[in-house]
Amino acid sequence: MIKFDEYIKNLNKRLESYFPESIAPNEEGIFKPLDIYNVPEREANEYKFKSIKYAFKHHYENNSFYKKFCKDSNVTPNDIKSIEDFKKIPLIPDKFFKTYPSGNEFAMWLATVYTGDLPDIVINKNDSHEKIINKFNKAGLVISYSSGTSGRHTFIPRDKRTFHDSEYAIAKSVITMVYPFWEYDMYGYVLMPNPLKTNVFAGKVCSVYFDAIKDIEVALDREITADLIQAAMQNNLKGRIIRYAMQRENKKMIERIIKWLREKNKNKDKISFVGAPFILYFVMEELAKNGEIMDFGENGAVVTGGGWKIYEDKRLPVEKFRKMVEEILGIPPENCLDLYGMVEGNGWMVHCPEGHYLHLPTTYYHARVLDENGEDVDYGEKGRFAFLDGLAMSYPGFIISGDEVRMYEKCPACERQTPVLEPEVKRAAGAEMRGCAEEMRRILSMDMSG
Amino acid sequence: MLREWKDKEYVPPKQLFQLFIRGGFALTKVLLKNLSNLKNVRAERISYTPPERMYDLPEYKEGMKYVKSDEKYLRPTLYCNPYGKEIIAMANHLGAFEKEPYEYARDAFEFVKRKIILQIIPLDGVVATLKRGYGTCLHKISLLIALCRVAGIKARYKLYALSVIQQWYDTFIGADPLMQEWYNALGYFMLHGEGEIYLDGKWFVADVGPTPERQAASSIPITRFGEDSIGIWTQAIPGSIMRVESLPLGLGIASKLLMEKISPGSVAKMNNNVLRQYKEGRKILQEMGEEEYDKMARKGYKMPTIELEAKNIIFE
Repeated sequence: MIKFDEYIKNLNKRLESYFPESIAPNEEGIFKPLDIYNVPEREANEYKFKSIKYAFKHHYENNSFYKKFCKDSNVTPNDIKSIEDFKKIPLIPDKFFKTYPSGNEFAMWLATVYTGDLPDIVINKNDSHEKIINKFNKAGLVISYSSGTSGRHTFIPRDKRTFHDSEYAIAKSVITMVYPFWEYDMYGYVLMPNPLKTNVFAGKVCSVYFDAIKDIEVALDREITADLIQAAMQNNLKGRIIRYAMQRENKKMIERIIKWLREKNKNKDKISFVGAPFILYFVMEELAKNGEIMDFGENGAVVTGGGWKIYEDKRLPVEKFRKMVEEILGIPPENCLDLYGMVEGNGWMVHCPEGHYLHLPTTYYHARVLDENGEDVDYGEKGRFAFLDGLAMSYPGFIISGDEVRMYEKCPACERQTPVLEPEVKRAAGAEMRGCAEEMRRILSMDMSG
Repeated sequence: MLREWKDKEYVPPKQLFQLFIRGGFALTKVLLKNLSNLKNVRAERISYTPPERMYDLPEYKEGMKYVKSDEKYLRPTLYCNPYGKEIIAMANHLGAFEKEPYEYARDAFEFVKRKIILQIIPLDGVVATLKRGYGTCLHKISLLIALCRVAGIKARYKLYALSVIQQWYDTFIGADPLMQEWYNALGYFMLHGEGEIYLDGKWFVADVGPTPERQAASSIPITRFGEDSIGIWTQAIPGSIMRVESLPLGLGIASKLLMEKISPGSVAKMNNNVLRQYKEGRKILQEMGEEEYDKMARKGYKMPTIELEAKNIIFE
């Protein structure tokens, strides 16, 4: 079996282009340690403090709205002297990133949320959100979004460096967790929109998969725009036509994936799936209907993300999904992991194979679980997930999410050194439903085709 | 007459018209797809007892003060006749012409928000709502608008299509498979009504829809006069917000058809859920105290304010 150090060095070689020319203090925690889940606590805290303090100072000095927010809370970077002081860093509710105005002011809103200076960007009077985003992106940014079921998007302005850091972080988190499974010469399937044809964050961030694995197929290989998402969720003629076309496309997509699986199974190839679980669920349902069983065994892995709704009224239990993967594809539960992350952050929590607990990154990311008063709850108690993200340099990544979690200091199932979240994350009371897989499910109208 | 209809905005604005058409299409499709389900739902007998009115109606006395005007935003409109005796009596009881306009409008807001329970019923007039003590968000907002107009304070409707937080989805949509499918087809809930009250040269938003009890049951802050629900328990569907003097023609018939004829059982389930939610919230507020609850609901969720900057953006 390949040694772990060599394994990660191979990955770093593959992802060389994601490394910045010189690593900034906020990036050391992701780029320097080889095994991010086994950094000794003291060392991890040193990385983390350096990273988050650096990011906080940067936003305080270069972002007017966040500076005002800090002043209202009477906090300056000088007040942050230890990790204990992270509690003082003002947190932005995730809803804030949905409060953008319409029309041309949307461009100004993006510019204001963005930390630092922007290059010249020319905006026309009638530019749609998508056009405005594309203009920002042409100017060197990576504006991406995710959506609630209302179709009101969460827009996050990343610069290229933050986006690359995030891509590297997701790849390193997953590949470390599936050790020794990963190798470059294998086959992969993205169960998300083509990263090159969408600004949807969950799709876009998968572009690193193309650099980490030699041969990649994409389930949804068409352009997915904000306007298309909104239109697909509505019931006017345009929306119905889009959904009809999507339903037809879905059947072909399922057939394509099955064909691909048959071929890889026959050739005993090594495969992996990354993306929305409901697509694979429908693939497996189709295989089960035909009594078709495959035997990938240790040659297969599945990494899911984005939520577990398969129909409007039906949520798929994660364990049942793993069992299906094992029974139909022959992939063991240890190779079937879920990933938790969000468009607002660059920290990626991945299931451990032993107990399927979500392991938190600790070298550049500080997770908190809060009660209704915004105070930290004890380990093991339920509360709202919040985080301080040292990698976010183009927007203040100090955020209270709408998710309800339980955090444990140590993983009950494995020896890795990081705290964990319970395997499944749910939306907190009062939060809008969301999840990138749910968004995709609605666009694809999978209910109707299922 | 047509000119008057147009002037008073009885004719649905384009967005509302589009919403109706989309909603109608979606509903027809759902019903056609679910004919057998619909039969079952219609046959289902749901036990439902409407809530009792929570207040006494003040006595109307001859000579009570009120403002009669034909000015826009002050005059009567569809389902909103401010000159009903009960409305005049309630306005006087709440302090119209005695208190400062802002103070009176705020107290009228609190009365309607707290004392009129939300229940899904066909649209009717403000006097009926006041006598009954319950109604939809449109009944409630019409009543507040009437109480303002009769006191000489301009008031109008703010209507929009919306998506709601999970608990409210569970209360209204999750209660019934047909409603779920309809919502799913549309991607949003058809219509919500807030009010806007004109005071000292400025329109103040007023959403009387949710009682504090229902907000407590949903773990969200208790919204006040001047505070929008958008961003707290709802998101407006982009481009759907309409500000109008009147509710439009056709809404009454549509609501009657929808609530009484198509699936009364679904409506009863929703109403029972609202009453259950109300009870749950009342218990929370009794245990914690309203002020303490609201403080708690607002703590930790402070939103930054933003002043837009152009930076290097060039507008052409």
